[in-house]
Amino acid sequence: MKSKILAIAGGLLAATALASATAKAADVKIGLIGGVSGPIAAMAPAMIDAAQLAVQQVNEQGGILGGDKLVGVVGDSACNPQGGTDAATKAVNIEGVVGIVGPHCSGAVLAAAGSVTIPAGITVITPSGTSPEITGLKDNDTVFRTVPSDDYQGRALARTLKGMGYDKVAVSYINNDYGTGLANAFKSEFETQGGEIAGYAAHEDGKASYRSDLAELAKGGADTLVIFDYGDGTGLTILRQALENGFFEKFVGGDGMKSEAPIKELGAENLSTFVASSPVGEKSKSLDMFNEAFKASGGDPSAIFVTTSYDAAFLMALAIEKAGGDKAGVSAALREVSNGEGEPIMPGEWKKAKELIAAGTAIDYKGAAGDENFDANGDVPGTYALFKVAGDGFETITEMK
Amino acid sequence: MSILDFLNFYLIPGVVLGSIYALGAVGITLIFAILRYAHLAHGDLATLGAFLAFAVVTGFGLSPLAALPIAMILTAGVAVGIDKVFYEHLRERPKIVTVMASLGIALMVRSVVQVVWGVDAESYVRGIVRPENYFGLRIKDREIYTVVFMLALVGGLQLFLARSKWGKAMRAMSDNPNLALLSGIDNKKVVILTWVIAGGLCAASGVFLGINTELKSMMGWHMLLPMFAGAILGGVGRVEGAVLGGLIVGIAEELSVLVLPSEYKAAMAFAILLFMLLVRPTGLLRGKVL
Amino acid sequence: MELIGLANYALFMGIFIGIYALLALGLNIQWGFAGLFNAGIAGFFAVGAYTSAILTSPYAEGRLGGFELPFYVGWIGAMIAAALIAWPIGKICLRFRSDYLAIASIGVAEIIRLVIKSEAELTNSARGITNIPRPYGDLPYVQSQMAYLAIVAIVLLVAYLMVERQFNAPWGRMMRAIRDNELAARAMGKNVEYRRLEAFIFGSALMGLGGALFAHFNRSITPEAIDPMVATFLVWIMLILGGSGNNRGAILGAAVVWTIWSVSEIATDQLPQEYAVKAKYIRLFLIGLMLQLVLRFRPEGLLPEPLRGDLRSDDVSSEK
Repeated sequence: MKSKILAIAGGLLAATALASATAKAADVKIGLIGGVSGPIAAMAPAMIDAAQLAVQQVNEQGGILGGDKLVGVVGDSACNPQGGTDAATKAVNIEGVVGIVGPHCSGAVLAAAGSVTIPAGITVITPSGTSPEITGLKDNDTVFRTVPSDDYQGRALARTLKGMGYDKVAVSYINNDYGTGLANAFKSEFETQGGEIAGYAAHEDGKASYRSDLAELAKGGADTLVIFDYGDGTGLTILRQALENGFFEKFVGGDGMKSEAPIKELGAENLSTFVASSPVGEKSKSLDMFNEAFKASGGDPSAIFVTTSYDAAFLMALAIEKAGGDKAGVSAALREVSNGEGEPIMPGEWKKAKELIAAGTAIDYKGAAGDENFDANGDVPGTYALFKVAGDGFETITEMK
Repeated sequence: MSILDFLNFYLIPGVVLGSIYALGAVGITLIFAILRYAHLAHGDLATLGAFLAFAVVTGFGLSPLAALPIAMILTAGVAVGIDKVFYEHLRERPKIVTVMASLGIALMVRSVVQVVWGVDAESYVRGIVRPENYFGLRIKDREIYTVVFMLALVGGLQLFLARSKWGKAMRAMSDNPNLALLSGIDNKKVVILTWVIAGGLCAASGVFLGINTELKSMMGWHMLLPMFAGAILGGVGRVEGAVLGGLIVGIAEELSVLVLPSEYKAAMAFAILLFMLLVRPTGLLRGKVL
Repeated sequence: MELIGLANYALFMGIFIGIYALLALGLNIQWGFAGLFNAGIAGFFAVGAYTSAILTSPYAEGRLGGFELPFYVGWIGAMIAAALIAWPIGKICLRFRSDYLAIASIGVAEIIRLVIKSEAELTNSARGITNIPRPYGDLPYVQSQMAYLAIVAIVLLVAYLMVERQFNAPWGRMMRAIRDNELAARAMGKNVEYRRLEAFIFGSALMGLGGALFAHFNRSITPEAIDPMVATFLVWIMLILGGSGNNRGAILGAAVVWTIWSVSEIATDQLPQEYAVKAKYIRLFLIGLMLQLVLRFRPEGLLPEPLRGDLRSDDVSSEK
């Protein structure tokens, strides 16, 4: 019996050794850690594809550092702290990554940062961890995010809606850090602006029916429903059931709702009164460049958090180039390539950036999801626009201030 | 709130949701009664059934209802296969070992669904369907189908259990396995039959959930706990009890928002269940005490 | 890859295995000794983790906390809180046998999860609690991991020795008697309900301690950590696979299952780059399959419950 245990242990060790033997010395690795399994499984693949697009562009345009290959090592955080720390530990110690893009969920970011990356001095850029707790981490300046905090978006959306004549709305939000953060900010700003919140309720993820929730929200007499959820998850179910039963006339979503899924599943013809906010680059040319490249690689540029994922990966590559591949220098370099001063670099302009860095010229990355100029806490201010459904896609109505 | 609003937005959705839970709960209760363990892969098997129907719908252009029997047969086959390969040799072991094995199966089935169909939300038919108005009652066709099919399937099962030779054999196995074996009942066939029925009903619950909402790779896993609650609530081993239990859980979840904050919706099923276990541990319809 | 990296990974694995081993030990007291089917491990884990987090973390606006007590006070508090929660649950639910207790305890754990996720004043709701101090957390990466592993190992050893001692004492014999033949035990005048409650509370306290160790290791705790899959079912797999009724089996099970869980990702990473995301789904399949294989060939667990008395001699002759 002992021999069997030994055999199992031996087999596992052999697998580990085999796994690590394949790593080539010349590759520069970054970890792409996401919630591939678990509650956001539907969103994670597109986000990882977007990050891989940045990696691919780097490799096509001369590689990183001395022409080395940049490799994105995918890890699964399963959207929970257990998976997040496990994936981060493997990325840092087994794969030897220089920096990490991810994890996707705030809980995984907090745990992975607290137990792995901050002690190990590895820089982390999360494309979707929106919790305000990340702002307050004692992180030695190693934790960044390319997604603006919920607070800003919620307030901007409230001001914009009020300006457009929405006076009385009901709010339905998913009961996690993303939904709670957005809904709280939206509520306080909307009320400050003199609007009325006629219904305000959280909902649990993954239930099959939300009609009674919607009926409760509709009791307040609002004709507009604001949904803070994910458009290819529970948000789709809520939007469908609200439309089918005619609880509300108009629908507003946060960036999570601006997804292909509602158009694909519900039909654009039914979504004429649906608007959603989403981050955009200040120079919208950045966004166009990303959209074109991502479409060409077979991705869907309007999927959730793909722009922030792409920006995170591209910024990470720029910072590694700038730091000369030194792990400890990545976070300082990251600030240098994104402080708003220097020659602007658009998505995909790796070759130009590489030459400028080699020449010692200051550069500034203008991302697909905004300018991505980090503040003291490693957060970015957002630039948002409001979108409506047009044809089989989304089209901008107005900037959000 | 008018009585019509109550019916339209709380009770009818609850009945539809409850019917979907009931289909799963019947399978769970049968497996509980005849094989005597909790089958934790039930939810993911429902997901598989829903996606098999999706493959038929997109592949052959059939309507979801036409695809339903095909998906039920396929899923029943898969369930029997899983039992043959993974559960059969654990039959003489403590039941807890099989419970753990079924958890592993849940992961494996979900993995297959995610690899084959991906993780995007899908739906059988694009677009939305607004409900018809029947004297103020707002009901959709597919909601009627869901409830009617559920009742027909369960009614058929009840007839089968009560009248046919094999149905009686199944009931005998459930009541007293030793006596059943002594009287010459073929244990293996009863087990296969149990899996055929459980697998088929499981697929039906997945397909109806898909028809009423969307298909997602985690949809079955999210339904597992309410389905179990329904099965226990009705009394283990009682088919009509499982239907009743499933309906009560579904209705209770929808009505819960009247009294509780909506984030506690998922807790309602358990609150009822705990209360029921306290006052009547055999379930509503006097099932087995395990 | 450097050796130091592998060592670091091994340290991390050691810490996680230690924490899960505590949970599995707690479950072993409940299931292995007393036959109580607790399917709500996540609930006690969460109560422990959040209690310790609230007691030891610095003040934060909008939630309970700011006590900044030393970590060991938090850990003791975690055990007490988990035990206090377990007491009424046990009082009410222990009259149900096995599967009913399972459903009842899953229900309680789900309700605890929803409360933690929704009550901002208590637990900061979905955002979780951060800046939890980690003992020796100011040391550099490797040293701090080593120190924490040492702490986890000591806690685990103490817990193991205590449980083992109880198991071999008359108390343990009585518990097994109740588990295997309740009626006979009752006829001998044993207070079955009271003994079961004891086992349930002790086991839950250990689970609470496991939760506290987990929160301090990650320096944060969020509701995602109390997902039933990773906090309840995984522990069950560990115990059954390791061998229920055997404390060393519980610890070995934790080691083997967590190793499968974690290393399977490295294995599936060997697939070509374009399958990088699909590989994660295949990983789940692999985990499921490994479980089936172990259960197939060692259904009684890696280290089965040691048989005592007359059964022992029979067992030796039949196994060899």
